[in-house]
Amino acid sequence: MAITDHATNGSPSDHTALTHASARRLTPGVACSLLGLALLILGSHALTRDGLSLLQGLTALWSAPQFDQTANLSQANSALLSAQLVAHVSWWPRMICALLAGGALGMAGVLMQQVLRNPLAAPTTLGVASGASLAMMLATLFAPALMTGTGVAENGMTDGGFQLGREWVALIGGMVAMGLVFALAWARGMTPTIVVLAGLVINLYIGALGMVLLLFNQEALHGTLVWGAGSLAQNSWDGVITLVTRLVPGMLLALLLMRPLAVLDLDEANARSLGVSLRKLRLMSLGLAVFLSACVVSVLGIIGFIGLAAPACVRLMGARRLGQRLLWAPLFGALLLAVTDLVVASLDGLLPNLIPTGAMTAALGAPLLLWLIPRLKMTQGAGPISGGLSLVRRHPQPTRLHALLAIGVLLALLLALISGNTAEGWTLDGAWLHGNVSILDWRLPRVLAAAGAGILLALSGTLLQRLTNNPMASPEILGISGGTAIALMLTLLLVPGASQLTLLGAGVGGAALCLILLVLLNHRSGFIPERVLLCGVAITALYEAVRGIILADGDPRGQQILAWLSGSTYYVGLSAAVTVLALAIISVLMLRPLARWLDILPLGAASASALGIGVLRARLSLLGIVALLTALATLIVGPLSFVGLLAPHLARLLGLSRARDHMLGAVLCGALLMVLADWLGRQLLFPYEIPAGLMASLIGGSYFLWSLRKPS
Amino acid sequence: MQRWLSPLKVFRPLMTSLLTSLVALSLLGVAGTATAAATEAMAATPLTPTPEGFVDRPVVVLDWTLAETLTGLGVRAIGVGQVETYRSWVDQPELPTGTRDLGLRTQPNLEQLARLAPDDILISPMLASLTPRLSSIAPVTSIPLYTPDTDTWQTLVEATRQLGKMTHRESQAEQLIRASETYMAGVNAALHQQDAQNQQAQMPLLMVQFMDDRHVRVFGNNSLFQAVTERLGIANAWQGDTNAWGFATVSLEKLVTLKGRMVVVEPLPPGGREGLARNGLWQALPGVRENSGASAPLFLPPVWSFGALPSANRFAHMLAERLLTRPDTEITQGQTDGDH
Repeated sequence: MAITDHATNGSPSDHTALTHASARRLTPGVACSLLGLALLILGSHALTRDGLSLLQGLTALWSAPQFDQTANLSQANSALLSAQLVAHVSWWPRMICALLAGGALGMAGVLMQQVLRNPLAAPTTLGVASGASLAMMLATLFAPALMTGTGVAENGMTDGGFQLGREWVALIGGMVAMGLVFALAWARGMTPTIVVLAGLVINLYIGALGMVLLLFNQEALHGTLVWGAGSLAQNSWDGVITLVTRLVPGMLLALLLMRPLAVLDLDEANARSLGVSLRKLRLMSLGLAVFLSACVVSVLGIIGFIGLAAPACVRLMGARRLGQRLLWAPLFGALLLAVTDLVVASLDGLLPNLIPTGAMTAALGAPLLLWLIPRLKMTQGAGPISGGLSLVRRHPQPTRLHALLAIGVLLALLLALISGNTAEGWTLDGAWLHGNVSILDWRLPRVLAAAGAGILLALSGTLLQRLTNNPMASPEILGISGGTAIALMLTLLLVPGASQLTLLGAGVGGAALCLILLVLLNHRSGFIPERVLLCGVAITALYEAVRGIILADGDPRGQQILAWLSGSTYYVGLSAAVTVLALAIISVLMLRPLARWLDILPLGAASASALGIGVLRARLSLLGIVALLTALATLIVGPLSFVGLLAPHLARLLGLSRARDHMLGAVLCGALLMVLADWLGRQLLFPYEIPAGLMASLIGGSYFLWSLRKPS
Repeated sequence: MQRWLSPLKVFRPLMTSLLTSLVALSLLGVAGTATAAATEAMAATPLTPTPEGFVDRPVVVLDWTLAETLTGLGVRAIGVGQVETYRSWVDQPELPTGTRDLGLRTQPNLEQLARLAPDDILISPMLASLTPRLSSIAPVTSIPLYTPDTDTWQTLVEATRQLGKMTHRESQAEQLIRASETYMAGVNAALHQQDAQNQQAQMPLLMVQFMDDRHVRVFGNNSLFQAVTERLGIANAWQGDTNAWGFATVSLEKLVTLKGRMVVVEPLPPGGREGLARNGLWQALPGVRENSGASAPLFLPPVWSFGALPSANRFAHMLAERLLTRPDTEITQGQTDGDH
């Protein structure tokens, strides 16, 4: 079995380059100085806010005020002491943590993007954050003792060295997730495509498990939600000590790796000829990057965006060589996070909600990224990573495979209709008419909606992956799902008791807004897929930030939002289900003639136009179709069903590679996956229901991981 | 994977339902006296006792606050959402045995719900988007609970009345309302008397629940806890904004400048009391720092913070126990665990 890596055709690894004009204007040095200045002004302002003089504030860095328990302090003195104490145990540790974390994330981002040769890669790409998060949830629920540490307090020790506190639980979780990714990718030479894919799937898989836990235990996991949104608040120097002892050695090690890593700027063959073991080099540098981000995640929570944006920004500002980037990205990241944190902290007094910095960074960063994207000059043609994941040989008889899949879908439909769990145990005929309860009332809409949504998502996923030539592409990543979800979340929060129709309207509005944004940002560049995806990543980041902020605040309505976000066919009525399925089937039939575009477009813009395809028109219409299909599916099953990502890959793994076959295969896989997921999800924990979207991620993910492991 | 619908499977539930109906029938004879005794006891002591004889009503309840009110009225609903989790978060009053678990409160199992064929489905407005699906099973009644810009106590009283009416437990509802108000007034008077004796006013309270070691929910305007402290005549030190449920999630440093006695509603963050001892900000809180009798933090066992009258009574009782009975010198951080 051969792994083809189209990225080895000698394209420069600089995917993003600045236009000359703006390169002269804003260098990394200038940007960092500006941020540093902002940091000084905001910092000194914040430090003196509670009535401290600047000198008192600065001395609070190293000296803690002593309280005399017996003394009767005057009101003014007491307030001053409080202010000094807050500065010492909270403000300074928070500031230092922000700088350290931003630096580490910036550096981890550079390493990631260098090794994976993908501008979409971020420190969380390999599942660190989701692994840490899942570990913390499991520990909180099933072994709370793990989270506390073991009686260190008696002898007054304050460092976290000997206890398995939150930091260690999270760190171990993150490292295990990374280990899984590496185990999957090792056998295939740790090529970027495989690493990214394995990371993506592990992320989905672990994320789905976490969502299930969260859905059923929201009260118990509130703490995890606050942590997940990345609040930098500190209450002692413990966090700083942990970070320094772990990050500084890690970052020094990264500098040692600089020379060998620079080799990765060359293409694969040239690098090999220099006698570098690519596999080991990749393992080491990715491991280091993951370690750095896992440390940050474990101490402070999930801080989005910095790891993606800092390296991208300094590269945009002209830091091209690896050495430059390794110098500037951490500096830029550190200052960016610290300044954002100061801004967030000053907002904190104005709003009743908790505003976690991690999520806020992403929320503020997303528009910044959207603003930057039209200013990026993207290299056309050969993408950063291989589009064709040719893991398996082409199936000799696609038609027979299609027929088998279709039979599978029909059987699954039948099974889901006639069998089910009830309070009295399993039933097979399901009592078609049980008193006034017609099973068809309750099962048919869900089964049909699941099939319809599966088809829609699989279809748009196939279109998108073929169009962008990027295996990370999926309708969820395009941002349409995210936009729909943002609109729905805000409606649920701002309109008390919103009806289903209001929600529908809001969802369509959100999807439309997103699509318009995508078109506006991309129409001048001719809808280069890479750039469209980057826009989608920004919108998705915004969605995750909004979700994080809402959930961290602990509003009880968060439960409802969670239930909806996890992608369930719960809310679908029969007429809606029939409509969706009909629309899905019509779309499949109508898109069959477009298969030629999908075979040719991945070859690149030049070849496509040479073959007589209006590239711009083709891209625009395909993207429009994808957006519509996704919006429709999102309204039914929420934004988190990763069928759009998984189904096209499943079809490929089955050996369907020509666009026509691939599309039909993916559609059938999507329908099969969703119907089975919906059915299983309703039975496993009866009367509790695991949403179909989550079940689909678990089933599809399992199959996917198994196929990656399968020896040739 | 599948078990067929075997005769045994049919037989067992049949027998159980036969047995339960027998028990119910025999109980029905004494139900009148039992509940009367229960309500009398309720009037005597503020804590809603677990009534001996519940009456069954063909309703299902998705919301815990409504469920606790119904239980307080001596009503057993057919089913309640997330029964297990109710036990760990609301706890008191305990749901009567035999209450069916409906699944997630936000996504109750529709197929099961249809089988249970209730006469009425009770929800809170938060779940309004479920109404179209639910109303094809039974009429849906949405009872407003925590609504911004309304008087929380009045809303809860109204909800209790409405539930009493729906389940034909009007007198029990009035009983519960009266008992709660009488008790609160009693504690209020006792506290005032104590303050007069000590010639010292109660410190304002700062009522929090820990989210993790760095963040708390602080309860203020609109919250159950403040509704109670208002009735007890104690000021709330948190005057900041709160959401519709009456809390704000803040990091601990926000509380450092507030002069008030900490009331910590458990569960504590991981690390518990030891963790707090190492928590620099916690130690800096004025009440904790001074740690004199009248300002030492109070730790209370878990109370459902979005509860109704039964939870309000429980909270008032726990506060009264700690604020009233102990001489100042004995109040230390350590004495917290025993639940009434």
